[in-house]
Amino acid sequence: MWIIEYRELIRILTISDLKVKYQSSVLGFAWSLLNPLLMMLVLYAVFSNVFRFDEDSFALYLLIGIVGWRFLANGTMTSISAIVGKQSLVTKVYVPRQILVLSSVLSSFVSSLLEFSVLVPLLILFGVDLSFNVLFFPLIHAIFLVLVYGLSLILASLYVYYRDLNQIWDVLLQAGFFLSPIVYPISIVPEKYLGYYMINPVTVVIEMYREVLLYAKTPSVIDIGLIVAAAGLMFLAGSSLFGRLERRFAEEI
Amino acid sequence: MGSIKAMALANRTKGLDRERGGEREGEKVRERAIVVENVSKRFRIPHEKKVTFFDHLIGLAKGGSYSYEEFLALNDVSFSVNKGETFGVIGPNGCGKSTLLKILAGVLYPDSGHVKIDGKIAPFLELGVGFQPDLTALENIRLYGAVMGLTRKQIEGKREEILEFSELKRFENMKLKNFSSGMYVKLAFSTAIQTDPDILLVDEVLSVGDEAFQKKCGEKIEEIRRAGKTIVFVSHALGTVRDLCERCILLDEGRIIALGEADEVVDEYMRVMDRTG
Repeated sequence: MWIIEYRELIRILTISDLKVKYQSSVLGFAWSLLNPLLMMLVLYAVFSNVFRFDEDSFALYLLIGIVGWRFLANGTMTSISAIVGKQSLVTKVYVPRQILVLSSVLSSFVSSLLEFSVLVPLLILFGVDLSFNVLFFPLIHAIFLVLVYGLSLILASLYVYYRDLNQIWDVLLQAGFFLSPIVYPISIVPEKYLGYYMINPVTVVIEMYREVLLYAKTPSVIDIGLIVAAAGLMFLAGSSLFGRLERRFAEEI
Repeated sequence: MGSIKAMALANRTKGLDRERGGEREGEKVRERAIVVENVSKRFRIPHEKKVTFFDHLIGLAKGGSYSYEEFLALNDVSFSVNKGETFGVIGPNGCGKSTLLKILAGVLYPDSGHVKIDGKIAPFLELGVGFQPDLTALENIRLYGAVMGLTRKQIEGKREEILEFSELKRFENMKLKNFSSGMYVKLAFSTAIQTDPDILLVDEVLSVGDEAFQKKCGEKIEEIRRAGKTIVFVSHALGTVRDLCERCILLDEGRIIALGEADEVVDEYMRVMDRTG
């Protein structure tokens, strides 16, 4: 199994990705944490004053949504170029190419964990009761990791053949941002569209983050089953597409 | 050109016969390290390279032609390398040597045919793959070890040996971008050679460093050979092939035109080159 055999390479590539991201500086690290907070402030100003959603603790509601979404957005946007960007590891030597995608996703995963850990003191500060349900967080985040990895396999392998995919994906991500309950409560979605709306697994994941972190609710078995199925399907689809397209990577790069 | 092909066929059968004969005599049935069966590889060179969705859309609007030239880099190549054997691959430029080596390394996939490899393979397709100029020598050693699939423990166990062999112990904490090209190559070779592979794929990289270091590399390769490792050696240096290799194949235009004892195949190559060249 390549994950075990090449664990050292995965570790090194993940760390070097993180180093590049934080540019080995304290400020770079601070910025990456400030970014979601500032974004939350802007969106809070706009959506609480203009649209007047009467959601309890709307600021935290927003922040959890933003931090959850950022893992998907940053994870896919960085790993889309994981293959094309590491040319010499593809054309000059054999390593299982999934490693390049995995380590890129993992570095975003670590960033995301850091962002969530900044969230916790804020939750306490705003007087949220943290219950044992917080313990579900690692499970949900791990399932989300599989989902993002599967999606990244698809994107990174297609990007080798279609070099404008990152532009297209950027637009799709922006659409996704507004098609998921990040800046508004689900209650504003008209009932007749709700069935379609809930097909989006990211919606379910973000709602579950809020349940366990903000509302002290235990996630339902059905919801967990749903995202496990979505993540599993994405992983299978990603792996099989990647396996097929991988054969010509070295020629196409 | 016609003559080369006719000779090619004659020689090919001769070569195969010899191989079969060898087995029948049964000197000793050696295990195979590499088996290549009917491998073909064709590259497609499109007349108009479409690399984006946008290109494809424009292409469709214009009437959507996907014409391309095909280039057969390897044509029905079959051979096998025994365990512990040093095996040469020779031929003129563009004959498919590098494509063959890349297929053995697992970087390219054949369009048809099979490749079976038994053991861990170390491709020296290019020295210093994955080396990063902003990391120190030591960090690069760790990175390269990881690329070769070593664990952290194994890498730490070898690092002193690597630094010593490369004669760069003093510079272990220097960033690679400050290395001279000679030092770079020394570090790369030393790291690659210490990763303890079963099969080495060597592509023209032995001519590295100064003369003293070259000699050291030659000795190291010889040592590895005596240790019973398999080496596939691609080179234009016919003298070295003659010295190092037991058997050898001669490729031309993607076909094997001779296979057999290194001496005979090298002679054959020189005859063919004389006639056509």
